[in-house]
Amino acid sequence: MSHEVLEFDGISTGLLEKGKADGAETIWDRQAAMKAKCGFGDKGICCRICAMGPCRISPVEGKGAQRGLCGATADTIVARNFARMVCGGASAHSDHARDIAHVMHIANKEGNYKVKDVGKLMNLAKEWGVNTDDREPNDIAHEIAEIALNEFGKPFGVQRLLVRAPEQRQKIWKDLKIEPRAIDREIATLMHSTHIGCASDAESILDLCMRTSLADGWGGSWIGTELSDIMFGVPTARGTEANLGVIEENMVNIMVHGHDPSFSEMVVLAAEDPELLALAKEMGAAGINLVGMCCTGNEVTMRHGVKIAGNFYQQELAIMTGAMEAVMVDVQCIFPALAKLADVYHTQFISTSPKAKMEGSIYIEFEEDHALDICKKIVRGAVENFKNRDKEKVMIPEAKNSAVVGYSVETVIQHLDKVVNSQTDVFNTVKPLSDVIWAGVLRGAVGIVGCNNPQVEHDKSHITIMKELIKNDIIVVTTGCAAQAAAKAGLMTMEAKELCGRGLKEVCERVGIPPILHMGSCVDISRILDIVSRVAIERGLDNSDLPVTGVAPEWMSEKAVSIGTYVVSSGINTYLGVTPQVTGSEYFVDLLTNKLEEKVGAKFIFEEDPVECARLMMEDIEAKRDKLGI
Amino acid sequence: MNLFKIIYSGKDQYLDLAESMVKKIIEEKGRDAQVKFPSTAYSLPVIYAITGEKISTTGELEKALELAKEFIHEGNRLQDALDAGTASAMLAEIIEAVKYTMEEEPYKAPLQGHLTDAQIRAFGVPLVTQDIPGVAVIIGKCKDSETAAEIIKDYQAKGLLTFMVGEVIDQAIEQNVKMGIDLRVIPLGYEIESVIHVVSVAIRASLIFGAVEPGDFEAHKKYTKDRVKAFVNVFDDWDDKIIAAGAAAIELGFPAVTETFINEVPTLLLHQPNNEKVVETSLEVRNIKIKVTKIDIPVGVASAFEGERIRKNDMYAEFGGSKTKAWELVRMKDMASIEDGKIEVIGPDLDTADKIPYNLPFAVVVDVAGKSMEEDFEPVLERRLHYFMNYIEGVMHIGQRNIAWIRVGKESYERGLRLPDIGKVIYAKMKAEFDTVVDKCQVTIYTDGQKVEDLEKELALPKYKARDERLASLIDENVDTFYSCTLCQSFAPAHVCIVTPERLGLCGAVSWLDAKATKELDPTGACQPVPKTGVEDEEKGIWTDVSKAVDIASQGAVSRVSLYSIMEDPMTSCGCFECICGIMPEANGVVIVNREFGDITPVGMTFGDLASMTGGGVQTPGFMGHGRHFIGSKKFMSAEGGLARIVWMPKELKDDVRERLDAAAKELYDIDGFTDMICDETIATESETVLEFLESKGHPALTLDPIM
Repeated sequence: MSHEVLEFDGISTGLLEKGKADGAETIWDRQAAMKAKCGFGDKGICCRICAMGPCRISPVEGKGAQRGLCGATADTIVARNFARMVCGGASAHSDHARDIAHVMHIANKEGNYKVKDVGKLMNLAKEWGVNTDDREPNDIAHEIAEIALNEFGKPFGVQRLLVRAPEQRQKIWKDLKIEPRAIDREIATLMHSTHIGCASDAESILDLCMRTSLADGWGGSWIGTELSDIMFGVPTARGTEANLGVIEENMVNIMVHGHDPSFSEMVVLAAEDPELLALAKEMGAAGINLVGMCCTGNEVTMRHGVKIAGNFYQQELAIMTGAMEAVMVDVQCIFPALAKLADVYHTQFISTSPKAKMEGSIYIEFEEDHALDICKKIVRGAVENFKNRDKEKVMIPEAKNSAVVGYSVETVIQHLDKVVNSQTDVFNTVKPLSDVIWAGVLRGAVGIVGCNNPQVEHDKSHITIMKELIKNDIIVVTTGCAAQAAAKAGLMTMEAKELCGRGLKEVCERVGIPPILHMGSCVDISRILDIVSRVAIERGLDNSDLPVTGVAPEWMSEKAVSIGTYVVSSGINTYLGVTPQVTGSEYFVDLLTNKLEEKVGAKFIFEEDPVECARLMMEDIEAKRDKLGI
Repeated sequence: MNLFKIIYSGKDQYLDLAESMVKKIIEEKGRDAQVKFPSTAYSLPVIYAITGEKISTTGELEKALELAKEFIHEGNRLQDALDAGTASAMLAEIIEAVKYTMEEEPYKAPLQGHLTDAQIRAFGVPLVTQDIPGVAVIIGKCKDSETAAEIIKDYQAKGLLTFMVGEVIDQAIEQNVKMGIDLRVIPLGYEIESVIHVVSVAIRASLIFGAVEPGDFEAHKKYTKDRVKAFVNVFDDWDDKIIAAGAAAIELGFPAVTETFINEVPTLLLHQPNNEKVVETSLEVRNIKIKVTKIDIPVGVASAFEGERIRKNDMYAEFGGSKTKAWELVRMKDMASIEDGKIEVIGPDLDTADKIPYNLPFAVVVDVAGKSMEEDFEPVLERRLHYFMNYIEGVMHIGQRNIAWIRVGKESYERGLRLPDIGKVIYAKMKAEFDTVVDKCQVTIYTDGQKVEDLEKELALPKYKARDERLASLIDENVDTFYSCTLCQSFAPAHVCIVTPERLGLCGAVSWLDAKATKELDPTGACQPVPKTGVEDEEKGIWTDVSKAVDIASQGAVSRVSLYSIMEDPMTSCGCFECICGIMPEANGVVIVNREFGDITPVGMTFGDLASMTGGGVQTPGFMGHGRHFIGSKKFMSAEGGLARIVWMPKELKDDVRERLDAAAKELYDIDGFTDMICDETIATESETVLEFLESKGHPALTLDPIM
């Protein structure tokens, strides 16, 4: 078993050795067993869309098969494979949002779910023309939920939230005919287009990819964020801790893993239940310690300060501490391997979503109508499981760091208000941010997002890029597993300002923020789109004019492909630290990394070396500044 | 607009000018001519603070240029731009230093140019008490002189110290704005480089009060940012040099507000085109809170008018002096006998004048009552009458008790000022400043000659006598509590005074009774009781609990202090002391010099040089800063023999302290006319001649144990 990939993370080595002794298998074992990657798959030139194949195109031009049986070229096959990843990602985010909308639709004063942020509800009601006079918030919420649900399948018109983009951007979308219509429709259309014998023109497929991805970014994802904030509260700055060290030896440890806050919110409530706490004490535990993993961890840390056990690559390690009574999961990014791993320990592995029933798990279906009861039942099971913990197998790494999380756009603006002079400016805008960028105090901003991927040393690319950027006065906003990497590395503390250039340090001190802002889960990249668009609108510019970039240094999921595509389509250059499976078509690579710029003013850049990647982004940012004359 | 390029261009202009001026001065005066700003121990102060290098000759100016160039690296990070600002400041200082080398007096009145160390030290007390709540630096030219005057007067009325650079000076002159250091409105010079003289004030505050090491630029920046509440206003179109100077200001933590558009940086660089809002904008950006007690009288009331003088020709009325009787009294009464807010004038008011100046007898009786009021606080409150009356525009107050002397200016009389207005100010200020002890207050002013005379005998004199007796009984041995005073810590973070009945605060402004009253006014404030327990050495004045209190209050900077010794763990000082005392070993004594005295002393140093040896909360055996009043205390370095060690003082200081000093020397050593045994500058300033004088007088220091 080779663990060179773990070099960056000192804490894992000991745990892995112990795991080995316990008989646990990890992602790295499976990676080793996998040996070399499939070269055709890696280049995106394996087509298994119909049953005539699978067809593989020769990676060498003029040598071997140059077309599939139907005649599809490498360009077509690569584009179609890419498109189907976009569909997968867009559907995951959007379906997540749809579930939140359904929860919102059952909101009522007495039930488990009720509107928490009436202000945000009212703002959205106003934007969407919903009458609010003499109406109870939950009643308004039902109408909003219904409008939101119609965004998935409405027969006519385009996504409602597109109007939040700068006008120039909206025009580009209109002219290119990539304004997304109903979310489900865009996904279905693209699935259709990539069916055998449909679209073969790679460029047109990419156009459709952009439209579908926009249905995610400016549709599903953004709706998910909006409605989650209304139902569960707009995140505000709060302290937490991150890394495996948050698992407590003397407590009942329960981990929530997955993505949907309507589930994790209820788990938070259940874990605070006095009766269950008393039961935990009875069992000899000091209490119930709820920890989060991946994006659902982000959701509850931003709203409740729930501690973060780790990010994507650490899901197995958390169980391997031997101190985890239960792992409760809903959807997305959950290793099927967890079931078998949980069997090595006393851990209960509970899947809850009919969309993500896990083989070998205890399946307790989560039903929104009696959400709290179900969660209490699961928590009770975990508490009772405390007695089954094998103390011999417990090993909890000490490593953890403190972090300040919860920087929703509203919270960022609230902080910016602190530096507004009431005699010269107005409150509640992003002007202070725009001002410091224009003055050169900050050179620009970069959104760092995405997953972990065993193809690169986990967290290393995230952290290397983050440190390079903040050292050079570039502020970083981040979501998802990238955000958790930053939290673990201590970069989300006020003290991290000492790692910054003078400009960013000054901003951190005066505004009272860490240099790297935790903006939420992967669905919350909508928050990044929001703040970028606000700055562009403030200046009367398009997003593509701004000295900002996006980067996914360690991405792996289909969601990341969809995100990358909508970020580029929104006018923001996007850097990928893991090259996507498209290199089998030079033409498609050129479309992504070059021609897209002519269309939407932004493109993809593939760069696997994090230091070089940071350098390229800084060059990019300075070029944008030169163009603006700032 | 590329802000950084503007800064770099400004910096280049300073560099060109500084290089050519240095070249010229070396051509004219050679490399060994002395380079120095007047009366400062820190030459050249800004460069010295930033780099730790002293520049004292024309030849060394070339080195200064090199030091400035080390800060030049034109990149696109904020630090690069701010460093260009720092370089600009250093270059501006070089340019100004050459001006002072070229001619004796490059700035002629009313222009100020460089400020001396003593002038800066004199700002110490008002700065720490926030009597001066901030420092405004106005650069450029306002759209018209009326606007300029309005803005300057607004700052003045709020007590700020205002420095002016550029044509705004002429505008202020045109509008007859009262200016000068005493009035806190200071015209520096017309050229932008003269702004370095206010930068120098801020930096020297850091050296003097903060005891920050020269060369530790980071610490200096932190000091100025956190403690010197300065900001810059730029009027009319800015140019690149102004913005480069602005970068230097920002590096020191001073925000700038411009009238002409500039790319804003929140909290650091603001654009305020509306002149009416510039004052509020500036105060908000520097977080300066003005404690305003709005008092409705026809003239201004502000601490900035404290130093205003009323000369004979400008005088409308005069009370006291040698012409009439004038006295003042604060007395405590019971709550029921006071009608709060009642202001009464018994006798003629100002408008009954038969001649000008109108000489009137005058007495003011301020009755106060409050649940926490104590009779001991009466003199504390009474001493504030001097300030309250001085705060009134066009009123000058000198002296105290029955030697009060008050003048009212013609202009203020013409604007409607009458005696009840003085009563109103006293009432409002008493209630505002002493809100926790004064619940009720009434003011009665007497101008009826007979009443003034009768009441002096009945009320005032017995009170003064009783207080004197109380004060005489207040000796260190008779109290069980001293007070710590950390009022200065806003400027001298490591300094703490221990105030005892016989050893008032080194600034001269806080007596034991003041400290006690301050504690009452603000129970968790700057003055805290210190139990006089754990005696280690009564003669040197060492108590364990006193040292412990100093250790805590100085955040561990000073852990042991002897109250009555200047040789062993002496008490530290903040920097704003009125006098500095230093040993003169060959005379076996000490010299004392007050900050008004600018010349050299027999120890070969000026006040500024001596003062730079200590201050900022640092213990320096052999040196001690203190108030004038301390000369005459029986506890003055009593461990080393006491007052008998004083061998030299400036004449003016001798005359000022003579009465008390002679009385104390008589009591301590049975010596008559001790003050006359002390040498002064009219007799000798050379070591040998001083010694000759002391020997001729049989000065007691000569026969004491060796001082070191």
